[in-house]
Amino acid sequence: MHWIEWVIIIGWLAYIIWDGVRRTRGTKNIEGYFLADRNLPWWAVGLSVMATQLSAITLIGTTGQGATDGLRFVQFYFGLPIAMVILGVTLVPFLHRAKVYTAYEYLERRFDPKTRSLTSLLFLLSRGMSCGTIIAAPAVVFSAILGWDLYWSVALIGIPAIAYTVYGGAAAVAWADVKQMYLIVAALFAIVAVLVYQMPIPIDDAFRIAGAAGRLRVFDFSFSLTETYTFWSGIIGGTFLMLSYFGTDQSQVQRYLSAKSVDEARSSLLMSAYWKIPLQAMILVIGVLVFLFYLFQPAPMLYNPRHAEQTREREPAAYAALEARYAAAVGARQTAARSASDAQHDGDAAAQRAALQQFRDRDAEVSEVRTDALATAARATGQSSRDVNYIMPRFVLDKLPLGFAGIFLSAVLAAAMSSIAAELNSLSTATIVDFYQRWFRREAPEAHYLRMGKIATALWGLFACVVATYAATLGSLIEVVNRFGSFFYGSILGVFILAMIPRVRAFGAFVGMLCGMAAVGAVSFGIPSVSFLWHNVIGAVTVVVVGLVLGGIGKPSPAGSTAPTADTA
Amino acid sequence: MPTPFRTTLWRVLLVQLVTLVLLWLMQNHYAMPA
Repeated sequence: MHWIEWVIIIGWLAYIIWDGVRRTRGTKNIEGYFLADRNLPWWAVGLSVMATQLSAITLIGTTGQGATDGLRFVQFYFGLPIAMVILGVTLVPFLHRAKVYTAYEYLERRFDPKTRSLTSLLFLLSRGMSCGTIIAAPAVVFSAILGWDLYWSVALIGIPAIAYTVYGGAAAVAWADVKQMYLIVAALFAIVAVLVYQMPIPIDDAFRIAGAAGRLRVFDFSFSLTETYTFWSGIIGGTFLMLSYFGTDQSQVQRYLSAKSVDEARSSLLMSAYWKIPLQAMILVIGVLVFLFYLFQPAPMLYNPRHAEQTREREPAAYAALEARYAAAVGARQTAARSASDAQHDGDAAAQRAALQQFRDRDAEVSEVRTDALATAARATGQSSRDVNYIMPRFVLDKLPLGFAGIFLSAVLAAAMSSIAAELNSLSTATIVDFYQRWFRREAPEAHYLRMGKIATALWGLFACVVATYAATLGSLIEVVNRFGSFFYGSILGVFILAMIPRVRAFGAFVGMLCGMAAVGAVSFGIPSVSFLWHNVIGAVTVVVVGLVLGGIGKPSPAGSTAPTADTA
Repeated sequence: MPTPFRTTLWRVLLVQLVTLVLLWLMQNHYAMPA
């Protein structure tokens, strides 16, 4: 990589660390450290919420998914705006007015200490692990692309995020997120502009070709419990997933608890409601544009350079044969793409259709060779050879003008750091507030908790880096991250729903939660073909049903905490 | 004076609907001609 790219990357990292450390002056107590004194404006919190959700996997994996699979992944987010509106009228006002540090703290006030401790522990387990995968995903790609040892990539991503989170706490996380988000969006627009500018055929023709190849198909209205990306799983399963993620996952709850008021907290979530789907669609469209770009340029057969090299060494004959087949197929597809583009202007409807059909057949042949090549790579390397996550980085490094690789890789680092920072900050908060302060040291000076908070952040950061170095090849990293959470997610959401039903008591909530997790476990192992998006629905519904059935059993909840007043103004 | 939440709610749903309709139109416009 050119030194100018490195100057851009190092410059960005240095700026983010410097800016985060600068904010450490403001944090004298734990409310400042964990919640930025509950004084952040809605737009900063809103950008922070978006930056936390958007991880490096989104930039490198989702674009790759757009290139190979088209736009249908966007259906996954269809439930998000609905979830944000529901949270705006339910959980957000409850949690904000309760002046809690963690979402789970509210469960102790409403139910009992064990419900709080269990939910918080589940959060620590699942998020602690997923924080590792969030670092691992881009680190694995960086290592393969730049030819580095994995340790260096993990350090490059992990250390800056740990540094500013440890020093500056929630305020540093939020303000860094704002800047990271600006960079990410700017980088995405810049890449779209370059891709459109470099397209050798008119963009309308290009989209027609992408449409013929099925890359612009968004909606799938079939109802299937086994398909993850359908309209219905997005709307129903997606709503439950997003309710769980934004309503009960401390890494997000903590973002809007740091807003100035209930209204500002709601507005911050609505920013995602408005912008998440368009942003996600744009990221996928970049993938589609990369697919179109490679129709007219030499496209790698295997995008993971390390795998390509190893396959060439270990199975030279098979590799050479595949390469010959691939070159022929790609050449034929390029000719077909040109003819399809020309036919849009010169031919009649029948000719246009025939040309597009011709292109589609040639594209299917290329896909066939790619499938064989990936199977050979898997055999030769003994690893999963899925290379969706390598398409975008390879494109950026090989094909974009000088400076763009630096900007894109900085944006990938920004996306990774903003997710990791929010997670470390929330893991530390849950550790200190829900466990250390609750069970071990109830009374101590603020300075003590502040110091412990910083130590916990650093230790969680170290843990995440260790997990990352072992999480090497994980197949489709996007789904892995989501799957980690979905095992407990729905059940925890169910407990929060029960918390808003006055007649439910602690016993019902606790037993309901255990039943919910058992139900998800049973479905997950018993009927593994059911898509993980439905696990949240199953978990939440089981918890609520069991909780309602056992409703009146057990001791009443502590006085004054049973019926939180709804506010839907 | 902050916007009443019900207004915001409808606004979000409307924007969501418009986004989906636009995606739907794009999908059909560029689909393989029948």
